[in-house]
Amino acid sequence: MNIELNINGSTHSIECEDRTLLVEAIRDQLGLTGTHVGCDTSQCGCCTVHLDGQAVKSCSMLAVQAQGASITTIEGMASGDTLHPVQMAFSACHGLQCGFCTPGMIMASADLLRRHPDPTDDQIREGLAGNICRCTGYVNIVAAVKTAAKMIQQAPANRA
Amino acid sequence: MNAATPALSRVEDRRLVTGQGRYTSDWNLPGQLYAHMVRSDRAHAVIRSIDTSGARAAEGCVAVLTADDVKAAGFTELPTGAPVKATDGSMQVKCPMPVLATDRVRFVGQPIAMVIATSARAAQDAAEQIMVDYDDLPAVVNMEAAVKPGAPTLHDVSPTNLSAVAESGDEAAVKAAFARAKYTTTLSVHSQRLTGAPMEPRASLASFDAASGLYTVYTPTQGMLGMRGSLSQVTGVPQDRINVIAQDVGGSFGLRGGTFSEQVLLMLAARTLGKPVKWTSTRSELFASEWHGRALTLTGHLAMDADFNILAMRWDDQADLGAYTCYFQAFIGTRNLAVTMGGVYKAPALYCRQELIYTNTVPVSAYRGAGRPDIAYAIERLIDEAAAQHGIDRIELRRRNFIPNSAFPYTTANGTVYDGGDFEGTMDKALAMADFAGFAARKAEAAQRGRIRGLGFGCYLEASGAGGAPKDVVSARFGEAGVVQVFGVTGSSGQGHETSFAKIVADGLGIETRQVRYRASDPTQELVGNGTGGSRSLYGAGSACKMLVARIIEVARAHAASMLDATPESLEFRDGAFHAGARSIALLDIAGKLAVTGTSHPLDCEGEATSGMTFPNGCHVAEVEIDPNTGVTEVIAYNAIDDLGVVISPQLVQGQVHGGVLQGAGQVFGEHIIYDNETGQLLTGSFMDYPMPRAGWINNIRNDYNPVPTTLNALGAKGVGESGCSGSMPALVNAMSDALRGRGVPAMDMPFTPARVWAALANAAKS
Repeated sequence: MNIELNINGSTHSIECEDRTLLVEAIRDQLGLTGTHVGCDTSQCGCCTVHLDGQAVKSCSMLAVQAQGASITTIEGMASGDTLHPVQMAFSACHGLQCGFCTPGMIMASADLLRRHPDPTDDQIREGLAGNICRCTGYVNIVAAVKTAAKMIQQAPANRA
Repeated sequence: MNAATPALSRVEDRRLVTGQGRYTSDWNLPGQLYAHMVRSDRAHAVIRSIDTSGARAAEGCVAVLTADDVKAAGFTELPTGAPVKATDGSMQVKCPMPVLATDRVRFVGQPIAMVIATSARAAQDAAEQIMVDYDDLPAVVNMEAAVKPGAPTLHDVSPTNLSAVAESGDEAAVKAAFARAKYTTTLSVHSQRLTGAPMEPRASLASFDAASGLYTVYTPTQGMLGMRGSLSQVTGVPQDRINVIAQDVGGSFGLRGGTFSEQVLLMLAARTLGKPVKWTSTRSELFASEWHGRALTLTGHLAMDADFNILAMRWDDQADLGAYTCYFQAFIGTRNLAVTMGGVYKAPALYCRQELIYTNTVPVSAYRGAGRPDIAYAIERLIDEAAAQHGIDRIELRRRNFIPNSAFPYTTANGTVYDGGDFEGTMDKALAMADFAGFAARKAEAAQRGRIRGLGFGCYLEASGAGGAPKDVVSARFGEAGVVQVFGVTGSSGQGHETSFAKIVADGLGIETRQVRYRASDPTQELVGNGTGGSRSLYGAGSACKMLVARIIEVARAHAASMLDATPESLEFRDGAFHAGARSIALLDIAGKLAVTGTSHPLDCEGEATSGMTFPNGCHVAEVEIDPNTGVTEVIAYNAIDDLGVVISPQLVQGQVHGGVLQGAGQVFGEHIIYDNETGQLLTGSFMDYPMPRAGWINNIRNDYNPVPTTLNALGAKGVGESGCSGSMPALVNAMSDALRGRGVPAMDMPFTPARVWAALANAAKS
C-alpha cells in the first residue's frame, strides 16, 4: 500500500506492507536510522518518536496509523547546528555512554518536560520508566533532564 | 547558544545525541539480502531430518544454509578460547559449538539454519516453513542435577557432564589451617544466570568482493582484532582478507569479543550468493542464544584463630558452562575466581577447587567482570556470615584482616601479586561518607515506621586484565591539516575512547582535545593490541598513547630544530610548541609545513606500552529499607569509595561507576535467567519477564576516590569498567542480609525480588 508520512517537517510518500511498523518505515524506508530498535516487546523505548508532539514507541504502531500525523524523530530535534536543550544536557551531564538508548531517552525526556516543565526527580524517573539504559545507571540521565528543564526555563527560545 | 548552555562532554556525543551514530544495523549496502535464523525449540534432541523445501519455495527466499553447507565450506566449530588444565594434569574436555546444529541440539535457541531472502520479512516468513524432525532427549538445565549419577549426558566425550575439575592454591595447607582453627564458617552463594543485554541487539552485514577476495563484515566488536581473528579461525579466510567495521557499538559487557554463528554464516552467504547479506536479531532470540553470564555457585569456607585472624579460605566452586565450550568461558569459573580468592584479606592459606559443568542451556561467557564480581561478592558475604555467626563486629573483623599498606607488593598464598592499596583507609573513608555512626538511629527510626533497615559493605578487590596481546600499540598520522589522528585496536562500546585517548594525547602535546581524533580498528592500520575488556583499555591503550606523545615530540624535535635554526637539544617543548628562546613553532604547524602528498607523513610514528594486571579495589556501602508488607526494597543510600589509581577523565570514570553499580543492582534485585527444569524451555525470554534495572532503582549513588596509583603502567591507572559490579553486589546483598537477619531470615541468594523477600520474611515469621 502507499502511504504518506510527515516526518521532521517534510512529507514522504512510501510503499509498504500493511504490517509495516512505523519504526520500520522510519528506519528502513526513510533511512532515518537515529530511531533504534532495542527489543520486540515495547519495553525498551529505544524507538521513541513524537507523534503530534507526544512521545510514542514507534515499534508499537503501524506505519499506516501514523498517516496524517506530524512525526518528529531524533534527527528533527536540533535546529541546524543548535542542539535541542535535552540533547545538549544529555551530553553535558554525561547521560549517555554507548548512546543506543539515547535517541529514545531524549524523545521521551522532551515530552516529559513538555508535560512537566519543572519536574521532580520522581516525575523524571516515572516518565522514563519505559526506557531502558544498560550503561549509565540513570543517575546522569535524571540530572540531564533536570538540567534541560533549567535551560528551557532560562531561555524559552531554546524549546524546540 | 547562551550562558545557560553547557558544553558537550564527549567527542562522540554530538553524533549520538542527534541520531547520526552508526550502529551495525544502521548500515545498508546496495542489493543486500536479509537473513533470518531458525533455532532449536527443544532443549535436547536428536535431529532426524531438516526439511527446507517449503522455505526454499517461499516467496522471496533465495537460499537456506544448514550444517551441510557449513561442512562443505570447510568451517570449523565456534572458537573455544584457551583450555583449562585439570587437576589430574589432563586438559579440559572441550565441546565446541557447531556453527549450525548437525545431528543434535543441546539448548533452546541453538542455531539450526539460516534463511536468506529479498527482505527481512520474507526471510522470517520462509523460516517458518522449515520443518525439523526431532527425537526428544531428556534435558538437564542446572548444575546440581547435571552431575548426579544417571543424569542425561550432553556430550559423549564428557559422560559425567564435567568438562574439567581444576584447582588453585595449596589444599594441604588449607586443611592444616582448618584443623587448628578456633572458628570456622561455611557459606554457599549462587550468582544466578544473567543475560548481558547490551541495548543494541546483535546485527551483522557481510559483503564479498570477488575481484579482490576481500570480505567486509560490519559487526559490533570490542576491538577489531579479536573479532577478525575468530572469523578467520572459523572460516579459514586469512585475516588480511577480512575487513571488520564497527563505528558505534551499543554496549558489550563481554559479548562482542568474538564471532557467533551468524557472522560467519553471513560471510558464507555473501560469497556464495554474490550479494551483501544482513542479519538483525530480535531481542527474544538473543535471550535464547547470545552467551549468558555468571551462573556460578561458590561455596566458601573460612578458618580463623581465637583472635579472629584469618588462617585460611577454601572455595568449592561450580561453573555452569551451558551446552558448549565458548570463548572466555573456562577462565571465568577458574582463573578469574582464583586470582583474587582471598580478596583484600591476609589469608595465609588459600585453595580453590573448580568444577566446570555442561547443562542444556545457552553457553556461558563473559559478563561485566567475568567471575571477578562473583568472587568479590562471595568473599564479602562469607566475612559477614562469619561475623554474625561468631559474634564479632563485621567492621572489626575486616580491620583485623586487611592486608596492611606496608605489605605491598603483596603476594597472596596462591601467588597473585597485588601492587598496592589502602584497604583500611578506603573503608574508613566509606564509613564516614555513609555516616555509619548514625545508622543505628536511622534503623530505629525506620523500625518505628514499620520498615526494616539494613546496611552492608562490599570491600572488593579485582584483577583488571593483563590482556591477551603482548603489548598495546597506537599510531599517529598527520595527513590531515590541524589534526593528529590516533589509531588503536581497542574499540569503544560506550566507554568514550574517542574522548579519553584524545585527551591523553592532547594533554601530552599541549593542544586541544578536538585536535586529536582517535579511531579504533581502522582496516588500513596493522596494529598490535588488545580489545576492550577486563577494565584495561584506558591503562593499556592509554599508556601507549602516553608513549606516543613522547615519540611524537622526539620525531618532531629534529624538524623543529631545522625550522628554528637551533640545535635539537636546545629546544624546549611546551604548550604544543617548540621554543628556542623567543622563537617558537607549533607542533601542528611543523606538521603542516612537512605535509606531503602520499600515504605517510614525516611525523607519523607509533607508541607502545606493555601493561600488566593491576588491582582496582574499594569499599561500597549500601543502605536499604524493606517494606515487610510487600517485600519491596528501597535503596536509601549508596556510597562508594574506589581506588582506581590515577583517574584520567573524572566524568567518564564516574559514569562507569554508576553503570557498574546499577548493573550489580540488576542482579541483586531482579535479573534472572530461568529455565524450566522439566522441559528445559527458557522461561525468561524478553524484557517483560526479565527485569532490567530501570530509572529509580538506585537514585543517589555517591562516589569518591582513595587513589593509590599503580606503578605497573605509564598512567598509574588501575581500571574501572568492572569495579562497580564488584562493589555493589556484596554491598547491596550484605545490606539485605543485615536487614533480614534481624527477622530470622537465613542466608538467601539473589535476586531479592519483592516476592522472594516477602516469602522469606513470611517463612521466618512462621518458624
